[in-house]
Amino acid sequence: MAKPLVFQWRDRQITFQMAKVDRARLYGFKESEVLDDQGQRCELATLAQDGQTVVGRGGTAFGTLTVDGTWIEKGQLRPVDPAGQTIAPVSSSFAAPVPLVEQASVEDYLDCAVRSVYLMETPDDIGPLADELKQGTIYRFAYSFRGGLEPDQAFLLANAEGKVFCAIGKPAKVEFLGLAQAAAAVEDEETESEEDEGAIDFSMM
Amino acid sequence: MAEINLCNSAGRDAVVKLQSLSTPLRVRWLDPEGRQVGTARMIKSSIHDDLEALVEKHGELRSVGAALRDGDPEINPEIAGRLLQETSRVYIQRSRKIVHRIQEWDVIRNPDGTERERRVHAIPDANVGSGAAPLKWSGVMIPKSEAIRKFVFVQKMQLAHINGLTYDFLIGMAKELESKDCLLLLGAGPKSNQPLVLRRNSMPYRGFLEGRTRGETYRLTLHLSNLELKAPEVQEAAQAAAEEKSA
Repeated sequence: MAKPLVFQWRDRQITFQMAKVDRARLYGFKESEVLDDQGQRCELATLAQDGQTVVGRGGTAFGTLTVDGTWIEKGQLRPVDPAGQTIAPVSSSFAAPVPLVEQASVEDYLDCAVRSVYLMETPDDIGPLADELKQGTIYRFAYSFRGGLEPDQAFLLANAEGKVFCAIGKPAKVEFLGLAQAAAAVEDEETESEEDEGAIDFSMM
Repeated sequence: MAEINLCNSAGRDAVVKLQSLSTPLRVRWLDPEGRQVGTARMIKSSIHDDLEALVEKHGELRSVGAALRDGDPEINPEIAGRLLQETSRVYIQRSRKIVHRIQEWDVIRNPDGTERERRVHAIPDANVGSGAAPLKWSGVMIPKSEAIRKFVFVQKMQLAHINGLTYDFLIGMAKELESKDCLLLLGAGPKSNQPLVLRRNSMPYRGFLEGRTRGETYRLTLHLSNLELKAPEVQEAAQAAAEEKSA
């Protein structure tokens, strides 16, 4: 079983197991099957710019090059922030309890481009925390799976049924625009009713 | 320039800019001389030197191991280490020849992996640009606090004006949405119930439009979602079974 994520919430520690939620688990998934003229399965490959070299799966790699095109090992490099200051690495969120103290607004959460979502399950009685989340509280914390240079932004929130989820992503920078920056009219037909709104079908996509 | 063609609540339509929101670079890597380095994609081996080719040539994995020990059969000095730029996607047969005529099928599977449907792959056209019909003002307002508990917003884009008229159009829309503290469901089709396809053959999303204003400035964000915030049924079934067992 994967290592749990432990939160320090008020005067107690709460342990959660994280179970990933994605489209494949909710709605199923799509596989692409490509056949040739004889009905034999084909594989995807990459054709290089010379028009002759064909590279199969696992045939490419990423390397680090200096400005003059010389290969350099990652161990010789130094990470800095945009201002040129050395970045202090952060430890993994699983190494120690994560303090759950900072509350976020709905707008803060909307400003995050969510990359992954986890269902948070715990054998502990989390009644007071669950109640708080059900009432709309959102907690924000820095999250790093392995530890590293740049932690993600994570939010702990409950869905409409009261199940607890953790959404992980990066803040998206949306600018306010002013005037200096930067068909035929269609009549509205009948608007959707609340019932229709609840019937948004995600599995059709 | 990406564009979106949409209507406001009065039914007036306009084509405006649709901008991607990229996350700013927050970590740069410097070499010992303080110069920024970059990454490059390069070739390790072509299909004529990969494991399958070596097995075909040497007969079995043990013989491939011996060949690797005695020499470098997997390295073609003409190819290995070459930078990869401007590549194309191709399909190859088992015999490692490029295929020029293919049939593409989509196999739809349930969450448990069982096959649900098999159909010829269809390429959806974009339905939000200037060449598409304007997206109607659906009128479906979802309170922000409710929307974030129902949907996962996996991508965001920003709407931007292209002239004074569209500035008035968009700031009006942002004010209206902000005053209601709601997200507007934005969909394609006559009933606004079809998913948005931003580019040809791209992933379809449900769109939710959010507006905020600050003085005479505005931001209209299109939140895109292809996922609901809910627990998978398979997992719930497994949990119910585990609880039953422990009882």
